[in-house]
Amino acid sequence: MSDPERPRIGEKRSDSSQPLILPGIHRYQFFSNLKDRGWTLNLDRVALFGIVSALLATVIKPILRGNPATIYCYECRACYATQDRCPVGISLQAELVVAGRVLDYDRFIRNGGLKCIRCGNCQSYCVQYLPLPKMFEVMQHETRRAIVAGIVPKESLTRVLEQGLVGKEFIDDVVRAIA
Amino acid sequence: MEFLGYITLGIFLGLMLLTLFGYIRTPVQTVLVLSTVLCLIIGGFFRYIAYGWDSVVLLPNEFLGGIILHPITALLTGLFLAGGLKASGGFEALKALLGYLRRSPIGLVGTLVILINLPVISSLPCGRILAAALLPLLFTFGFEGGLGILSKSQLIVLIGAFTRNSMGSCGPSPIGGVGQIAEGFLGSFFPTASDGILRAPQAFALMLGTAIVALFLKFVSQKIYPNDVSLREAPPGFETKRGSEVKIKPPIQGFIALAIFVISLLIAIFQPLGKMPVQSVLVAGALLMIVVCRIRLNDLLEGIILLPVTAMAAGFLAAGALAATGGFKALASILNSLVSIKALGVAGMLAIFVQFQTILPLSCARILTAALVPTLYLFGPAQFNFLSWSQLAIVMAAYIINATTSCGPSPLGGGGMMGEGTMRAETGFIKGAYTFASMAIMAPMAAIFMKFLNLSVFQPSDPEFVRNIYMIGAFALVIAGVNVVFIFLGSKLFNPKSSRNFFIQLIGFLLSGGFGGGILAFALFETEITKILQGILGGIIAAFLIGVMVPKVLSKRLTATLSGPTT
Repeated sequence: MSDPERPRIGEKRSDSSQPLILPGIHRYQFFSNLKDRGWTLNLDRVALFGIVSALLATVIKPILRGNPATIYCYECRACYATQDRCPVGISLQAELVVAGRVLDYDRFIRNGGLKCIRCGNCQSYCVQYLPLPKMFEVMQHETRRAIVAGIVPKESLTRVLEQGLVGKEFIDDVVRAIA
Repeated sequence: MEFLGYITLGIFLGLMLLTLFGYIRTPVQTVLVLSTVLCLIIGGFFRYIAYGWDSVVLLPNEFLGGIILHPITALLTGLFLAGGLKASGGFEALKALLGYLRRSPIGLVGTLVILINLPVISSLPCGRILAAALLPLLFTFGFEGGLGILSKSQLIVLIGAFTRNSMGSCGPSPIGGVGQIAEGFLGSFFPTASDGILRAPQAFALMLGTAIVALFLKFVSQKIYPNDVSLREAPPGFETKRGSEVKIKPPIQGFIALAIFVISLLIAIFQPLGKMPVQSVLVAGALLMIVVCRIRLNDLLEGIILLPVTAMAAGFLAAGALAATGGFKALASILNSLVSIKALGVAGMLAIFVQFQTILPLSCARILTAALVPTLYLFGPAQFNFLSWSQLAIVMAAYIINATTSCGPSPLGGGGMMGEGTMRAETGFIKGAYTFASMAIMAPMAAIFMKFLNLSVFQPSDPEFVRNIYMIGAFALVIAGVNVVFIFLGSKLFNPKSSRNFFIQLIGFLLSGGFGGGILAFALFETEITKILQGILGGIIAAFLIGVMVPKVLSKRLTATLSGPTT
């Protein structure tokens, strides 16, 4: 039995049955025109739930972990202009910010997060003057906690230790975790 | 583990191609989530084998890092403002102001040209802010929107060109634009690079590219897809009514809301109150509208539509899963290995590299730019020494404008879909115009601009400043002239047969791509014939990959989608 709600081939679709794209403007789009494709509706709902959950996690996580400023980062990477003004030679500061937002320990230590001395030189390059040293400090504490709890894989820790990416205040914890 | 990157990259590309060509019949955001899940499952399995369970547990955190909140919040802010302007009569006030401008010496055309270039003039860190706020206004220029100033064909050009300009304006933005990623790297050699070494080449190329997009939409897209824009033409007799001018009497709140919008925009751009997120300033402006213009919070919220937001977020998730499983590393390694092909060499590889984000347009340029700019940087003196610092700056200029504009033609929740929605077109309508302009005009023009002018500005000892300006003028004329000729010639050859039209368009892409690749090679290596030939070959390969992705037909896809699988 055919569904009377579903459009038939060649049938002119009315504006109001199309999804909205902007206020008052309806969308004609074969990808996201959900009304044309009832058999995938549930799959689409699951996917949408996944997307919204991921977005919420990205926003809520840094707030709960005391690093809310990371949410504001444009990820424009203007901070890369710090170059040799970074005394410990960190070149990809934005990576540390993103790592801090989502608690990506591996990304943080791989990009020299445990080497940072929080001098603040990079902060002057941030187009929003975000408190980068504070953000890195919070993530350093989180990472230390994760290292002590044995969450960070030993392979990652061994690699960064060999590459000299661990600052002296964290060396003991890293060595202990590897051992 | 390197193998894992190639697998996940293959899954992502395979699923995207199958969706774009209509073999997978689900909304794109669902396919992107499917790609994310598959990549994570396979990545998790590989990690479990290689590093154990601890590494698998951290995988979700890593893929969430792919979500870039900035364009998402920018889009929401734009929609928020659009809701506020609509409810308070701000659009009516803007129409009245545009009416005054139309009667001024600059006339209608001059007014529209300013309007189209407004995004690059304001250069906000995400083009979606202005596009979401102003596209509803542009729609009103047509018959259905009430003003009836423009015909259907003109409205398509206006909306398409404005959206093109918007979805590239985040490149030259000094307050968090995409170009700053590359400027940060160039700071290793050019001490003042972060002051905006790439800004002028991008803005110049974007303005020129916007004009070419307008021509392409008029003479190519509308002929290839004649029935795929559902905007209505004015009925016969409407012309005479139009002549008597539609009288608009906006409420005073409309003017106040407009003033608040403009002032908050200026504060966001020039930051006189100190550095702060653009979104915060604009949202504060929208809240002020509630107080001053007596509109409801609901009016603002009504402006927000989640569909474009979720599509973009799905793109980020898929990109995040790729990054977490080494997919981007595999991509960079593939591009790097092209150097070893003798026919391509460095010049050919770079001609493909600079076009890569147009070949694979994702929902936000930042996704791939953040992954590929460090690779490009390593081609310079920092590691591989393929290029000198000056040459690296030239390639960066070409790459960044191409990358920045790549969210425009992306069908994966890209900004261009907002334009397509506004002009009521099928997805893919603007893709040919946008990719052509990025490939054939913007990338080579940005390279030439950087070579002949910007390097002079950033190296003030250069005595040939005036001559270099003439050179840029000459190259702009040649590059634009050649492509305009291609567009006109192509438009004369089109007929109702879609396969023939697609073939003609593809030939045009190949010729323009080869020309663009040659120009890029010239900008880098000057008159070295071998390098120029390699650049031409690289440009042709890139153009082929871009050209075949432009849809052959749109309406048949819709019919196929509606009818379901055929047996």
